[in-house]
Formats: sequence, C-alpha cells, structure tokens
Amino acid sequence: MTRFSTRCRRALAAGTALALVTAAAQAQAPTQGAAPAPATGQTVDQNRLLKADKEEGNWLLHHKNFGAHRYSTLAQINRDTVKNLKVAWTMHLGGIEGGGIWSHGGLEGTPIVENGMMYVTDGWGSVYKIDTRNGAGKLLWKMDPKTDREWAGAVACCGVNNRGVALWGNQVISHTLDGRLIATDKETGQVAWQRQVADPDKGETITGAPLVVHDMAVSGVGGAEYGIRGWIAATDLKSQKEIWRTHTIPGKGEPGIETWKGPNNAEVSGGGSTWVTGSYDPDTDLIIWGVGNPGPDWDNTYRPGDNLYTDSTVALDAKTGAIKWHFQHTPNDPYDYDSVSENLLVDAGGKKMALEADRNGFAYAVDRTNGQFLWATPFVKKVTWTRGINPDTGKPFEYDPTKDVQRYNPAVTPHPENKVADVCPGNMGGKNWPPTAYHPGTGLWYIPVIESCNRITHETMTTASLKPREFFTGGGPTQPFRITGSVTAIDVNTGKVAAKLETPFPLLGGMLATPDLVFTGEPDGRVMALDAKTLAKMWEFNTGGGVNAPPMTFTVDGKQYLAILVGLGGAWDKWFIDSTPELKSIQAGSMLYVFAL
Amino acid sequence: MLKVTLPALAVGLISAVAAAQQPPRPDPGLAVYKKANCVGCHKWHGGGGGGYGGDALSLRHTQLTREQIIETVNCGRPGTGMPFHLRGAYDATKCYDSLRAEMGAQMPPEGTAFLRQSEVEAVATYVAESLKGKGEPTLADCTAFFGDTSRACDLYRKETRDGTPAPQQTTH
Repeated sequence: MTRFSTRCRRALAAGTALALVTAAAQAQAPTQGAAPAPATGQTVDQNRLLKADKEEGNWLLHHKNFGAHRYSTLAQINRDTVKNLKVAWTMHLGGIEGGGIWSHGGLEGTPIVENGMMYVTDGWGSVYKIDTRNGAGKLLWKMDPKTDREWAGAVACCGVNNRGVALWGNQVISHTLDGRLIATDKETGQVAWQRQVADPDKGETITGAPLVVHDMAVSGVGGAEYGIRGWIAATDLKSQKEIWRTHTIPGKGEPGIETWKGPNNAEVSGGGSTWVTGSYDPDTDLIIWGVGNPGPDWDNTYRPGDNLYTDSTVALDAKTGAIKWHFQHTPNDPYDYDSVSENLLVDAGGKKMALEADRNGFAYAVDRTNGQFLWATPFVKKVTWTRGINPDTGKPFEYDPTKDVQRYNPAVTPHPENKVADVCPGNMGGKNWPPTAYHPGTGLWYIPVIESCNRITHETMTTASLKPREFFTGGGPTQPFRITGSVTAIDVNTGKVAAKLETPFPLLGGMLATPDLVFTGEPDGRVMALDAKTLAKMWEFNTGGGVNAPPMTFTVDGKQYLAILVGLGGAWDKWFIDSTPELKSIQAGSMLYVFAL
Repeated sequence: MLKVTLPALAVGLISAVAAAQQPPRPDPGLAVYKKANCVGCHKWHGGGGGGYGGDALSLRHTQLTREQIIETVNCGRPGTGMPFHLRGAYDATKCYDSLRAEMGAQMPPEGTAFLRQSEVEAVATYVAESLKGKGEPTLADCTAFFGDTSRACDLYRKETRDGTPAPQQTTH
C-alpha cells in the first residue's frame, strides 16, 4: 500500500503522461523475474572513481577519468570496422521549452553509463535513466526538477544548458540552471535531497556537471556577464552541508586583492565564473579548475589591475578549498577570454602537466604540482590580440606589469578610444566549453576548435551600470565574419601542433578518443569518426539536428556503443548565428543517438 | 428551431459561467509580446540593454508613437537585430518604401513569429501604454508579467521586505 501510494504521489507530482508510463513500467518490473538482475545496485565511492578507467565498459565520470582524458580503451569500433557503424536506437528527450530570454533549450551533456544504465540530462536539468540492455533504449525514470525557467533563464547568458550528472553511493547527483544541487535515488528516480547552491537573484546559474571527490560534490557557477563574484563550492554528500566555498575573486585582505584597483570596487562584481567541470589530481589531492572572464567583459578600464583569479587555472586543496597555486592566461582581459576549460592532467617529458586550451587561442602546459609555466602553443589559425606568449614568463609579449590597464594589440582591443574593434579569436574563443580528449598511446591531445574573429563594440561602464539580474558587459559582440572550425591535435611531448582537420562549422560539441579513432560532431548535425593519427575522416552520419554535445562510448551485453546528445541550443543560435548563416535552418530538438556496429 | 436554440443557450450559459470564474483578462498585447519573443532582447520590462547580443533599445525610454511602433514591429529596424513580423514584408509588401533586393546588408532578420495586424496593433498598444514613459519596473509590473509562479520577482519582494529601496533595473 505504501509503495502504491508513493508511486501515485510521484506520478501525480510529475504530472506528465511520461511519469505515468514510468510508474507503470516500474510496477511491472517484478513480473520480469526471469531476467537477470541488473548490476546497478553497486555503489559509487572515491575508490571506484579513482579507478574509473579500469571499468572499461563504463563511463563513470563526466570527463571519463579524474584527469579529463575522455579516452576509452574500447576498440570493437576501430579503423577497420567503423564503416559499419550505424544507428542502433534513438530516444527523444524533453527540455526544449524556452524561459527567460531563451526561446528554447538545448543539449550539451555527456551521458554517464554504469553497467548498462545510462544517465543523461536535458537543458532544464531533468535527469533520465535509460536501460541500454538488449540493443534498445528503455526509459526507466525521469526526474524533473521543475526548474524555475523565468528566474534562471533571464540570467543565463548563454543558453538553457546542463552538461550532465555524477554518480555517488546509490544516488545520481545533478545541478539545475536555477542553482540547485540535487541527489536522486538511482533506483527509484525519487529526489533524496536538494540544496540551493547558487542564487539567480544575484545572477548566478549552474550549467556544469558536478565533480564528485572524497564524498563531496564540487559545483561551479556561471554569471560573469551579470556582475557575480565567482566561486567553487563543495557539498558533503553525507551531511548535505557545505564544506567549503572558495571565491575566485579575493576578498578584502586576501592575497590577490591588490590586483583589483581603481575607485569602482570592481572586485565585488568581478566575474570569475567556474561553469565547466574541473579535474582532480589524486597524487597532490588538488582540484584543478578553470576560472572565467572578469566583468565587465569588454571594459577593462573599469577594473584596473591583473584581476586575479579571472582567466586563470586554479588548484584547490580538495580538503579545504584553499588555493595552492594559480596560473593566469590573460591579465586584465578586455576580450572575454575565459579560462573555464577543463584541464587535461598527463605526465610527459618527466613533467606532471596540466594542459588547458584557452579561449585566447593558446594551449598552455603548466606543472600541476606548482603552476609553473611550461609552454604555450597557438591552436587557432588566426590570433591578432597578441604577437604571442613569452616563453620565459608565460604572459603575452605585450603584457606590461607596470600598467594597470592592458591594451595588448591596441588596434584590435576594445577601449574608450577604440570603440569598435575586430579581434581574433572572437569572444567565443578558440575553444569554448566543449571538452578535449587525449590519446595516451600517441600523446596526442585533440582540441575542438572555433576558428573565429568577431567585432566588439565597447561601452564604458560605471558603478551605476551594475544592477541585479542585468547584463554588465561593457559592450557586446556582433558577427560580421564567417566562423569555421577545426580539430587540432597537439603532441603533449613536444607542445607542437601535429595535425589539423578544418571543418566548415565551429566545433561546439567536443571530443572522444579511442585507440584507433577520435569522434566529434558538428553543429550542422554530422557526427564523425576521424583517424586518431592523421585526423582523416573515416565515417560520418548526419543526425539531422545540431550537435552541441560530446560523444562517449560504453559497452553493454559485451557490445560497444557510441552515444551522443543532439539538440543545438547554447549561446550559438542566439548570439553567434550570423557567423554561420547555414545553421539558421537547424531546428530546436532534443534527441539521444546511440550507434553500434 | 429547438435544435438551434438549445446549443446556443448552452454555449451562452457556459460562457457566462466561465467568465464569472476567470481572473481579469490578461492584456492581449502582453501575450503577443511573449509570443513574438520581444523578451529575448528587450527583456520582460522592456528596458532592453547591452549584453552578448549588443544593444536592444529601451521601450520604456522610446520616443516612438504607437503608429511608429506598429511600423517597427511590422518592418523591423534596418541595419539592426530588430526583426520584421509582417508576413511578406520586403517581398509582397514594401517596407520603408523598399523591397528585399534594395535592402542589401541592411535587411533586418525575420521574426520568431509572423503577427496578424490585430496582434501588431495589440503589442504596439501594450508598448505605448504599459512600457513607454514608465519609470523603473516595480513588483506589480513584474507579477503582471510573470504571475506568481516564478521566483523571477523575488528580488523586488526581498527589497520590499527589507525596507530598502527597490532595485534599480537597467532601462537605458
């Protein structure tokens, strides 16, 4: 009776036909007694996550492993067999509704798979559990967090996005755009608990997947276009209480506050968001995370100084959140060159490295034990804002530490005397959030590239411009130039570009590496497999949607599958579409594609 | 006779009952404002402002007359991101005395939805009477737009509770 009424309540609360179907499916489950029990009861703990790569057929962590390799050893789909790869099954998901300033949601998530059970999210944060056994997809439950679309959608700069879940214990851990951290029972789909981590009243939203380390969920925040003061926060999954919250902009009396000068108290609204899931280095017990742009984006005169820790990689003590080291890429940034990208953790040439492909067009390697600069390499075809990165200092050649406001190449920099500036890369960067992948056998690191320039119009900000829940950007971009893309492979041993495959559209989805092949997708709908060494195209399939999410791979019933979410949303089709006119015909959609031989 | 009268009566009764139970009818222009995604650039309060998409002009500070607003909604604003909403604009119907071929790079984008003339007039009335010339948005403005189901207006409630002034919203 209790079971029945619980299910009824749940079905009613969800209020959708889908929930009713789900409840019915669950009610029927016991009658399938003959079927082997799914091994989904296995709990997820730190020990298992540390060895995530040993579970060859599973994909337990957002970036596959703590080092963000996105490399799978699965090789049934290989150079010889990939020509036979075809759609195995598909599933329509939801979440395309609009809200706030957004006309529709999109899909940016990486599916998580454990023992044949897949967990994916849509842009509004609904979590779907899908049974992938027996060559078909079967929806077991959907957890709809009932995200407050107007509250969150009005302060989401760049789309209705959610990049996926994490697993811990017997729960699925996820975020919502309106700033919640939610734990859902893996078996029943019922919400176990939730807590508000970010505050949309301050312009804060969450789009990234949580990183689970030491029984904590680590959350990052978006909102540097709305005058937030960024942070990274850790929630104890056992007590559901916050353990630490480290601001990415120092407070009064803290180290780094001297990099915020001038009369505007610019540090209180200095941006520094953290909206891409970071990495974790068990050897040093450091969480390595990227920090976004300073605010206002394009008026660096408002915020004299280097503006730490914006546009930086920071390494936090996992136990306390204390900042152990940092490396800043673009001091006093006037271009919106976030450094939010995930850091790839690899050992090469006797160095323990953290690598990041920055929005500013350069790939950086630093020593991940201390943040010391190792090398930087341009991975885009065109860079105009600087002559290059000084190999001795790791700073742009034009960077002048005696100056509070940097102009870099003044002709392409938006500032009060240069109100319209054409700059390369454009403000979506050489690489945005879509993740890189790494091949440990060859040392190649695959970057999904946006080959771009755009036009920035500068607007001088004052403290009166700073208003709750309103854009605080100091200008804005327009798109008079065509934007294309590439997959660019860098050899981590040499720091040199080893291969480049140019693509007609910017790569908005991200990479997956396997022994023979790398996989990616384009926003015009094509999913493709490339030769891991030469990047020659080996296979292609047009999904008929817009790819805005990374592929992943897993096995179930002994067979390898490739999965990718398809649904163009995000920032592109609202703010950048003029640079890719053909993409105007891509329809809003929400679909999971699963391929097999 | 009977066949005709009875349904008519029944419909009349149902309508009367429904009308008595319904809350005040929402502004039809507000519905068009939402449908045509005006909110996407001008925001819910019409204040527009800068940001990733460049500037959208403030409808609260606009100097346009209702007739000019109708023309702008129908034909868009050449050379800007303000789209046209009249089906056949610049093709079947000239806008600003021009056809598409003459517009070149100044051709405005096509709107999310084409609007019927009654809808264009309704949204122009809404802009002219409910947004134009208004000061900073209030809690009442916010709840009129969103209803009570979203936390989007909490900012105004919070400030009111604290006894501190309502927040200044961008209306430039």
